[in-house]
Amino acid sequence: MATTAELIEKYKERREKIKQMGEPKVLENRRKAGQLSARERIDYFFDPGTFTELGLFIKHRTAAFGLDKREVPAEGIITGYGKVNGRHVVASAEDYSSMAGTFGEYHGKKFAHALDFAKEVGWPCISMNDSGGARLQEGMDTLESYGWLFRAQILASGIVPQISLLMGPCLGGQAYHPVMQDFLIQCRHTGFMGIAGPAFAKTQIGEEITLEELSGWKAHAVRSGQTHIVAEDDKDALDKCKHLLSFLPSNNKQKPLRTETKDDPERTVPELDALIPDRPTHPFDMLKVITSVVDDSHFFEIMKDYARNCIIGFARFNGRPAGIVANQSMQAAGIIDVNAADKMARFIRFCDLFNIPLISLQDCPGYMIGSEQDWKGILRHGAKLLYSWADATVPLISIIVRKSYAGAHYGMLDKAIGADLVFAWPTARVTIVGAETAASVIFAKEIKEAENQQEVRAKRIEEYDELYENPYRGAERGYIDDIIMPSDTRKMINRALDVLENKTVARPWKKYSNINL
Amino acid sequence: MPLEIMEVPLAGKVLEVNVNPGDKIAEGSQVCTIESMKMENPILAPVSGVVKEIKVSPGQVIKAGETIAVIEY
Repeated sequence: MATTAELIEKYKERREKIKQMGEPKVLENRRKAGQLSARERIDYFFDPGTFTELGLFIKHRTAAFGLDKREVPAEGIITGYGKVNGRHVVASAEDYSSMAGTFGEYHGKKFAHALDFAKEVGWPCISMNDSGGARLQEGMDTLESYGWLFRAQILASGIVPQISLLMGPCLGGQAYHPVMQDFLIQCRHTGFMGIAGPAFAKTQIGEEITLEELSGWKAHAVRSGQTHIVAEDDKDALDKCKHLLSFLPSNNKQKPLRTETKDDPERTVPELDALIPDRPTHPFDMLKVITSVVDDSHFFEIMKDYARNCIIGFARFNGRPAGIVANQSMQAAGIIDVNAADKMARFIRFCDLFNIPLISLQDCPGYMIGSEQDWKGILRHGAKLLYSWADATVPLISIIVRKSYAGAHYGMLDKAIGADLVFAWPTARVTIVGAETAASVIFAKEIKEAENQQEVRAKRIEEYDELYENPYRGAERGYIDDIIMPSDTRKMINRALDVLENKTVARPWKKYSNINL
Repeated sequence: MPLEIMEVPLAGKVLEVNVNPGDKIAEGSQVCTIESMKMENPILAPVSGVVKEIKVSPGQVIKAGETIAVIEY
């Protein structure tokens, strides 16, 4: 019989062996390529000494194809919890050195359990994706385990924040995992994701395309809109994830953490009084408005390479985290097209789920018109914005900076759709339609019959412009709470957030709205 | 040398074209202006390089996705 000392020694050996992870050659290649191992990622992510591992000794139970003789340390995925900047977080890190981080029955069970655990304790769940895909040797067991993971993360969605770090490959149906998280951070040189890789594309449909082009950062951060943040390498991805977490509460019952700031909440921003171009057809940089009004000019932009005609991201006001949604007239007129609507709507809903107040900065000539967008379903996609605002119960503040035309008026948050407070700059142009279009419709007959058509047209446009393209009609009806100096914007947002701090909304019970998807 | 094919980001009318074939241009420099949705939209070069081709001319009505210019970089 073994002595206690021997049992302890044996335990230490077994534990250490698993912690050495899988194939040394894979680890070495990764190191040479500048990538961290799964354990190094965990170490870098958590505050020193705070990580508790769960399921270290878990083993697969497959015997087919020689798998009974195959050791897969920790089943190719490290799971556990610890502290990040002093706050509890649950994490899973796939280990490519252990049978290529392939996804089998117990790999999936550990992954899904981490999510269930995070949901139960109410802590954010972070996943580091780096896997060669399905472990085909396990057949049906692998297939079923994907379902556990997907269901676990979907049931945790809206309860705890979920962030994926795409640090290695994640191809095939497995890629639904990172895509269904709240945020996806993709490593520029090593993260690849897609419904299938290039080999499948070639054999199935004859498409010749590289992995980089089909599944790399540009594919998702620029084209598909599935990646929220691009990171330069593993450490950058982990740093960005920590940064993102600082804006979020641990779960949907909490408010995000308010921090100390030296930035005066009543600070005026004089340069904003001269920012808007004299001609309404000229663009200006909305990012200047954002960075000048938030605490310490610090803005954490999300999806900055996708649908650049709108801007979303996190910032703080007097230490309070807030979500910002804005139009960018420097790109495609700042219109709302199908992609911009999707981008903004999902962000609004995330903020609403996690008690993060929202601020809209409007300068939008409308939803994009014409066959291209109409046939892509701009109405259906645009509807997501309306649902998101009307369903939201967090503080909603709208600042009409310049254009708030037609559908964009409510699509970018007006009083009617749910704003608690609406402020407009004197440069605001709030109207059902631009003066030129309105005048040519209302006075079509008069213009047509006039001797000097140009003159009559110009006069009528000016008339409509003076009557309606301003913030005063909205303020007269109370749809705009006040017209403010642009320089006072930060002050007004901070005062509004103070007032709305304890906003509560009671509505009749229902399962959820039937949002247009 | 790779080619950057600049596409029309939104349907509208070409107001002016600011570069000619053969011009060396820097990233962020204005290639043309498209009038659309009550805005004069400056279309900026995504890369630094040499303009190989210009596919649009002032006054032309264009659709999203059409080629504006080809830049070799």
